[in-house]
Amino acid sequence: MITTKNPHINYYGHQPGESIENREQKRSLSPRANTARELYFSAKSSTSMEFPYWYTRRWEELEGEIPIIRRAEALKAGFSHLTPVIYPGEILAMGKAAFLRGSYPMPWLSEAFFMAAEDKLYKEAQESGKLTADTFTTMGKGGGNVTTSVGKVISIAGKFGIRVEEMPIMLEVAKKWKDKSVDDVGHKYEQLVPGYSEKEALMRSVICMFDSGYTLPQGREVINYYYPLQFGIEGIIANCKESTAAVAGYPDMDRLYFFQAVIIMLEGLQKWIRNYAEEARFLTSIEKDEKQKAEYSEMAERLDWISAKPPRTFHDALQMIWIFHVAVLNEDAISGLSPGRVGQVLYPFWQRDIKNGIINREQSLEMLECMRIKFTEIDCFASMGVVGGVLSGNTFNNLCIGGSLKDGTSAANELEMLILEAGITCDTPQPTLSLLYDENLPEEFLLKGVECTKIGTGYPAWINNRVAMEFLVSNYGHEGLNMEEARAWAIGGCLETSPGSWMPLELDGEIHWIPGGSAPATSVGVHFLNLPKLLEVALFDGMDMRTSQRIFPSHGYALDTYEELWKSFQYYFSRACHILTLTNNVQHDAWRKISPSLINSMLKPDCLAKGKDIGQMGCRYNTTFNIESCGTANLVNSLAALKKNVFTEKNYSLNEYRKALLANFGYKTAQETGSYSLIDQVPTEQYHTWKKIHRQSLDAPKFGNDDPFVDTIMKDWEDWFCDMAHNYRSLYDQPMYACQISVSTHGPMGAVTLAGPDGRLSGTTFSDGSVSAYPGTDKNGPYALFNSATCWSHSKSQNSQLNMKIHPSVVKGREGSRKFLELIRAYLRKGGFHVQFNIVDSRMLKQAQSDPEKYRSLLVRVAGFTQYWVELGKQIQDEVIARTEYEEL
Amino acid sequence: MDRTKLIHGTLFDIQGFSVHDGPGCRTLIFLKGCSLHCAWCSNPEGISPYPEPLYQISKCTFDGLCIEACPHHAIKQNLEHLVFDRSLCSTCNTFECTSACCSGALRKGGFQITVDTLFKKITRDRQYWGEGGGITLTGGEPFTQSGFVQALLKRCYETFIHTAVETCGNVPWKNIEPCLPWLDWIFFDLKHIDSKKHKQCTGSSNHLILQSAAKLAISFPGRIIFRMPVIPGFNDDSDHIASLCDFILSTGRQEINLLPVHHFGREKYNLLGQTYYTKEFNSIPHLEIERIRSQMEMSGIRCYTGSETPF
Repeated sequence: MITTKNPHINYYGHQPGESIENREQKRSLSPRANTARELYFSAKSSTSMEFPYWYTRRWEELEGEIPIIRRAEALKAGFSHLTPVIYPGEILAMGKAAFLRGSYPMPWLSEAFFMAAEDKLYKEAQESGKLTADTFTTMGKGGGNVTTSVGKVISIAGKFGIRVEEMPIMLEVAKKWKDKSVDDVGHKYEQLVPGYSEKEALMRSVICMFDSGYTLPQGREVINYYYPLQFGIEGIIANCKESTAAVAGYPDMDRLYFFQAVIIMLEGLQKWIRNYAEEARFLTSIEKDEKQKAEYSEMAERLDWISAKPPRTFHDALQMIWIFHVAVLNEDAISGLSPGRVGQVLYPFWQRDIKNGIINREQSLEMLECMRIKFTEIDCFASMGVVGGVLSGNTFNNLCIGGSLKDGTSAANELEMLILEAGITCDTPQPTLSLLYDENLPEEFLLKGVECTKIGTGYPAWINNRVAMEFLVSNYGHEGLNMEEARAWAIGGCLETSPGSWMPLELDGEIHWIPGGSAPATSVGVHFLNLPKLLEVALFDGMDMRTSQRIFPSHGYALDTYEELWKSFQYYFSRACHILTLTNNVQHDAWRKISPSLINSMLKPDCLAKGKDIGQMGCRYNTTFNIESCGTANLVNSLAALKKNVFTEKNYSLNEYRKALLANFGYKTAQETGSYSLIDQVPTEQYHTWKKIHRQSLDAPKFGNDDPFVDTIMKDWEDWFCDMAHNYRSLYDQPMYACQISVSTHGPMGAVTLAGPDGRLSGTTFSDGSVSAYPGTDKNGPYALFNSATCWSHSKSQNSQLNMKIHPSVVKGREGSRKFLELIRAYLRKGGFHVQFNIVDSRMLKQAQSDPEKYRSLLVRVAGFTQYWVELGKQIQDEVIARTEYEEL
Repeated sequence: MDRTKLIHGTLFDIQGFSVHDGPGCRTLIFLKGCSLHCAWCSNPEGISPYPEPLYQISKCTFDGLCIEACPHHAIKQNLEHLVFDRSLCSTCNTFECTSACCSGALRKGGFQITVDTLFKKITRDRQYWGEGGGITLTGGEPFTQSGFVQALLKRCYETFIHTAVETCGNVPWKNIEPCLPWLDWIFFDLKHIDSKKHKQCTGSSNHLILQSAAKLAISFPGRIIFRMPVIPGFNDDSDHIASLCDFILSTGRQEINLLPVHHFGREKYNLLGQTYYTKEFNSIPHLEIERIRSQMEMSGIRCYTGSETPF
């Protein structure tokens, strides 16, 4: 018998097989990329004060100057003073800072959070409830994270190392921004929003995780490389000079300052690039090895050229988009700046080089591998709560392949095949790949995608092109987005559907329509609402029972019926959305005034045409604010359990349930056991009092099993949420929409939430994503899960997220690839927006947990992205292990 | 009223997205009850035709709830675990014990389902199979529930669903024959060609099995793939392989799928309170499988190993 049915004996277990199943044989990467990757592995996340010091110094010098000019000059000073470092063997140069995994704090956004815990500023911040999320987030212990101070290196925010001699500068610079940073100014004015104290209560209870305006004010968007590729930096400067002349003295004078600011900023970038060229020339002069010498020399020539002119070759173009990518990352605290559809953008250059014999496929592959390493080196400096709790150290530089051309035909091309191949040979976490699935993509391309998914890197994620376009047309139609323009979309950040535009790239007199982002940051607005916690607060009439603090006034419902329970939840959810929308709008207003975007604004259509930066709605599309949720499956399962056990079958009163939840069903808390997975929880002596209600809670219908009892609750929630989100309006007076990705917040948010009516125990991690089942509760296989997941229309939301773990044996071999594709295709055809897979063996993961260094290169896919296993927090590691495996040996 | 609506089958699982048991992605239906009792069986919960309690000691809290609840007094507490009088359990259809259990240690293995309900699930799964999918009945021995199987296959066949069955062949011809018009595909298990040896390890002679195989080979127009679990020291010697090849060729069919013995079913023996014997059979080295494969190929039989069967 080949078909062993594995004993799904309990919710969380399965019987391991004999040996550890290895992923299918991988192909090796080029020696050049391998050297770079080894270098990356040995590098630690490091931070330095170079950029912030010069930025702050120039900013202070220009007191009284027009803010946007002051900002441009400060950026210019920062870029001009970054120490250039070039590593041997590099063919793509430049990075965020002088360290390989370098980044730096931006005290002009928020100065308090990176201070040492004993520092007064930090204490003040903690008291106002802002930093609670940090205290509930665990950081991955291995890899390049500097989690503890060693020798002369001090650990800050649980991840970054800084030289001890730079600490005084850091504190000095930080103090200069006290009461002037976006955080402080925003905080001053957000308190004027009526009912502000409720917002602080929400943050303290971690019903909401993070403010939006000063944490990561940009990102979760798609960059646009068109202008530099077409005109070069000199061309853009010339254009800005013409525009200056056209607007000087006319009404709407802000345009004048914007064009001037762009020019100043670009001069700073030129200096920065030329400093690197200078360094390359210096290296040429001292290098003995002839081959390396030639490479340095070529690099110096290339950088000099790019500092002024548009690219001549694919190599130039790749170097140029990398430079602009880093430049944008250096102007703000950003995660999720997606390069977008690089395979479309660079195709005209590549195709021409191939035709002219300038480059071959092997060289292209090597270059793309080096590009992957470069993107992997990106670090984002933010507080531990943001870096660990939201990002898991990942920076979400999502690269999209597939999708449609401007005319709606298949966009897959040979360069994208090579991008996939580089994803296979060089399995680094960045850039993560998303395949925009469309019915007209060729089978060969799709099977290549499957091959890549099968190596266990977790990418490409499979995304539904049609569903995304439907979402865009219905949410951006009022701004003029039509079907043709919708085809230019890409994933911005982790999984955020982002609008794009078609740009006319002219090469040798021929127009190539290339897609690029044309909207500002998304996943700004209301950050991550803790749905199960909101239900808990509704059950306890407005109280957070973990801290015994009141969050909301009494909702006034007796909760005699399920409908009343549902209404009380809706009431509190709406209240949270209302206050958080207003306070975050205030923060974003402070951001656009103090720290307006210049580099990203310059890149995004139609800022240069309008003469307005992103904060002044310079972009073509501006409806990007959203409301994010976390813990959907736990909310829905909890509602289902209460509906069944309290209101339908009346097995228990609501009061009995409240007592059981407060008693954590007789179990120790997750903080006591040190594990955040339900499987490892330990009962106390009180267990016998609660075992029956706990069992009946666990046995209540669970989402993910094609059970209408609970799936209709899911649909009710989704239909309501997706519609009500439009009732809130962003800073730019646009309706907001629902965004349903948990990223990594389901760990820390679960940590502050009591036991749930669904049987989940106190402090344990929630389900991830928005249509993933709670670990171990989807007991009827993938098809039943698919049916549940698509019980509502995914085009109503910016995204939905389904993560599945699959054992390698299920999809082994050529036949396995074909059948795997059928599985993916079936879900997307049914209307699923996103599905991604961990092809991994859970025993392998457990070994990796106890022996992290041996698994240094093991990649795991969690909640919309890929990360090295050893760099995930323990909460997330536990959750990945527990997730059901579809193991059918 | 349609008679088939009333026919119940006893299953122990339904699995979607199975990729090794027929063309395309398939839904596997595991039927309970088997007329063999192979020592290496990896689905021991499929042997008894009745639903039965599955007991996981590690989760048990010994609070006696199941003992109190059982109306047949079939459960006793030993020093370290519970003991079930499984002869009493096989007559039970109420399973008070599993409903009473709060620890999750007790679970009911097997359930009854009507053709109608099962067909609804198949219709759901059908939208996800993609090209060339279908259902495969396995178990247990599907043909022990012939009436149910016939009704189910007919329903599927008539709605253009590809149907396959995996059988050990140890069932009367009258159980098999009425199902044949509604079948596209048969996997037919052969364990040993020598009747005495067969009886030693499966509890039954192979008389009926060889007869069924010969009859099927003539009367079934669809594809038949033989399957042989490769059990080291039992059926892997070259003499046995030679006689097996002779038999297969004598049927006129020529495809076989070798399945190396594995131990993934081990935990299930504990759940059933049974002793696991398969550990006496070592895993088979890849080279050995290759040896058998080439011997079969030499005899003119198309031989596939593991999951590599071309469908």
